[in-house]
Amino acid sequence: MAHTSSDPNVFILPDLGEGVHEAELISWKVSPGETVEEHQTVAEMETDKALVEVPSPRSGTIDELFGNPGDILKVGEPAWTYVREGGNGSAAPAQPAAAPAPAPAGAAEEREDAGTVVGSLSEMASVSAAKGKVLATPAVRRLARDLGIDINTVSGSGIAGRVTDRDVRAAAEGGTAAPAQPAARPQSEPAPAAPTPAPAARRSPDLATTVPQQEVVSRPPVLVPAGDSQVIPFRGVRRTIANRLRQSVDNAVHFSVMDEADVTEVDATRKRLSAASGEKISYLPFVASAVCRAMKRFPMLNATVDDEAEQIYRHSFVHLGIATDTEQGLSVPVIPNADALGILEIGRNISEIARMTRDRSIPRERLSGSTFTISNVGSYAGRFATPIINYPEVGILAVGRVREGVVADRGAIRVAKLLPLSLTCDHRSVDGADAARCLAYIMELLQRPDELMTPARG
Amino acid sequence: MPKKTAYTAKIEYLQILDENGKLDERLARGTLKDDEVIFLYEQMTISRHYDEIAFKLQRSGRMGTYPQNKGQEAGPAGAGYAIRQHNPEAWLVPCYRENLALFLNGLPMEKILLHWMGDERGNQIPDGVNILPISIPIGTHPLHAAGLAWAGKYRGEDRVAITFFGDGATSEGDVHEALNFASALKLPVIFFCQNNRWAISVPSSIQTGSETFAQKGLAYGMPCFQIDGNDIFASYKVVKDAINRAVKENQPTFIESLTYRLGDHTTADDARRYRDPEEVEAWVGRDPLIRTRKYLESKDLWSESKQKELEAKAKEVVDAVVKKAEGIDKPTTDDIFDYTFAELNGQLIEQKQTLRTSSLGTHPQQEGLQTHA
Repeated sequence: MAHTSSDPNVFILPDLGEGVHEAELISWKVSPGETVEEHQTVAEMETDKALVEVPSPRSGTIDELFGNPGDILKVGEPAWTYVREGGNGSAAPAQPAAAPAPAPAGAAEEREDAGTVVGSLSEMASVSAAKGKVLATPAVRRLARDLGIDINTVSGSGIAGRVTDRDVRAAAEGGTAAPAQPAARPQSEPAPAAPTPAPAARRSPDLATTVPQQEVVSRPPVLVPAGDSQVIPFRGVRRTIANRLRQSVDNAVHFSVMDEADVTEVDATRKRLSAASGEKISYLPFVASAVCRAMKRFPMLNATVDDEAEQIYRHSFVHLGIATDTEQGLSVPVIPNADALGILEIGRNISEIARMTRDRSIPRERLSGSTFTISNVGSYAGRFATPIINYPEVGILAVGRVREGVVADRGAIRVAKLLPLSLTCDHRSVDGADAARCLAYIMELLQRPDELMTPARG
Repeated sequence: MPKKTAYTAKIEYLQILDENGKLDERLARGTLKDDEVIFLYEQMTISRHYDEIAFKLQRSGRMGTYPQNKGQEAGPAGAGYAIRQHNPEAWLVPCYRENLALFLNGLPMEKILLHWMGDERGNQIPDGVNILPISIPIGTHPLHAAGLAWAGKYRGEDRVAITFFGDGATSEGDVHEALNFASALKLPVIFFCQNNRWAISVPSSIQTGSETFAQKGLAYGMPCFQIDGNDIFASYKVVKDAINRAVKENQPTFIESLTYRLGDHTTADDARRYRDPEEVEAWVGRDPLIRTRKYLESKDLWSESKQKELEAKAKEVVDAVVKKAEGIDKPTTDDIFDYTFAELNGQLIEQKQTLRTSSLGTHPQQEGLQTHA
């Protein structure tokens, strides 16, 4: 589907692949004021699939570029604008006519750029917009260059933090360049008619200086790397991981229960099976099979939450996520309908998705949609863990490393294979007792591996 | 008990123009004349430019997904030209990486762009042009070629069907059904397998246990050949011979055209993630355009000024094609609903009115979000 703008002066970021919703800006290949030919590369961007060059759909002069390298640009939003032909000055992204700038009373006359910008600033945009290029007209940029001022260090008093020529002159005279206010990207939707932010908060220029200060107070000190230290930005897969985990911790109320399962019988069975089938069979398929069965008895764990709708969905199928360590970081590929699979099929599926995840050949749709996740954390070390839920799921089971341990068994001592299990649940939808019962049931099942051979779904 | 060899076979490999532009004069006899080589070089150059522009149209939001043909022009050029010269009534049954074979046989160039722009009229082939719509599903269409050839034979026409597919398609059951059908019923079909070494991210080395893809035809008892697919002479000759066999002996032929996909699988792919850059670099050196130009230069048939002229012409041709494709009124989103369902239920009516799907952006200026009255 083509994403094009009805205004030829605004370039709307298209779907750069198939079903791509956003892209990370790597670099701009041109600067504002530069003339470009049709098909000339304007930007280099990285989607979750590919590094791509984005060409200009027409020839013209670039007016504004929205975003800085590292910023995430959304498909369907303006990425750059062209200088309006025949006119002079900036071609601000055309906004729907129904969205006049709702300048709060008392503030309008203070703004030099009042009336020159179309569109408006919503409260959201002013506080949450990513730090990016400051907004300013080409004339103001020119002035800043002429006065030797880095415009990105000037705090803007105009709409959306737009830097005015008065700001630039003040910075040049007083040398009081404040940290730039986060620039708002042009809005893609009509600004909500209500609610108008409180005049006090909107009154510039106070806003521009108070916002960054507040940020500084709440942020822990940054340890600047020195010597051989490396700077690794949160980008690509790493950023996805970071955001997903942040979302989980921000939403779910985590608690964990832990115990060790006696897997002596599983060990014997898997060795027998390996010998018979010629395939290497690990403990994991048995744990997966036990989990699928436990999900039937404890459906409150085989669930996802929709926090917006304030609903819990209990699923009749088990789409099992298998947390997998890859070069790029953690991924959670999914075995759909794992409860319909026998143990050998589960085993093959686990190896298959692990391989596909590592060589990145896994289809996108296999990287989401799980209803419960298993994380095999203990291959190297660590007995128990407090795994983070793969939100919006409500439960995750971390499997530790099998060890030989001494157990007291009906008055006698014997050596057993012990598998440490750590179950984390979202306390909002799973009670502690249910989690403990579920873990106990999984442990019980693991003592009777012969019953784990067939699909859990009866 | 007798013990004997039941069957032996060899696969012939043909290259006439090598990667340095050196021609094997003996093998080239009876193939392409100089003016034909110039013509095909020009066509390949235009096709290459078309391909590059199509790629950019996708990246700037003017077109949907597009699979680049880059690097594979010679196979379809030679094959398409042989059809045009020796069996102009033939059916062409393509997949999507042989644009030039289609253009050489009368497909208006804007049709391919229209198709990838999401306009079904791109697959509306003009009357008198015997080309089937391009087939995106892998390997389903060789069956259609077999069926068309069967119909032609039944009617007593001297008309062959040529179908293009990739190395990956040989792993699809339908391809084998088509091969068997063509062979068992003695149908005039030419199976043109473009082995470009990569089925998206699957290298041909793990696509099959066979030494060659050409030998797939052996199992079906048809003549099979492997050619240098970046050589217009080889491609022309092997298809010309196949046409003769098809018309005179009702015999199908299987051709493996060895080539290389220089670009990504499609605009939705990034081949850098799975391909060794050295491998790509090696194939850049075997580019069919470069070798054809070298050949022409070696015979004093080409010059820098002619090249400049050609490039300007390519730009002009492609600009006009893009203009034409973009100038055609966009189909309304209503079509999706009107031509899919006999009746619309409540949810579909709502979708039709708002075209609300999860893959669309939400910008109000974005086309497609507006309803079409």
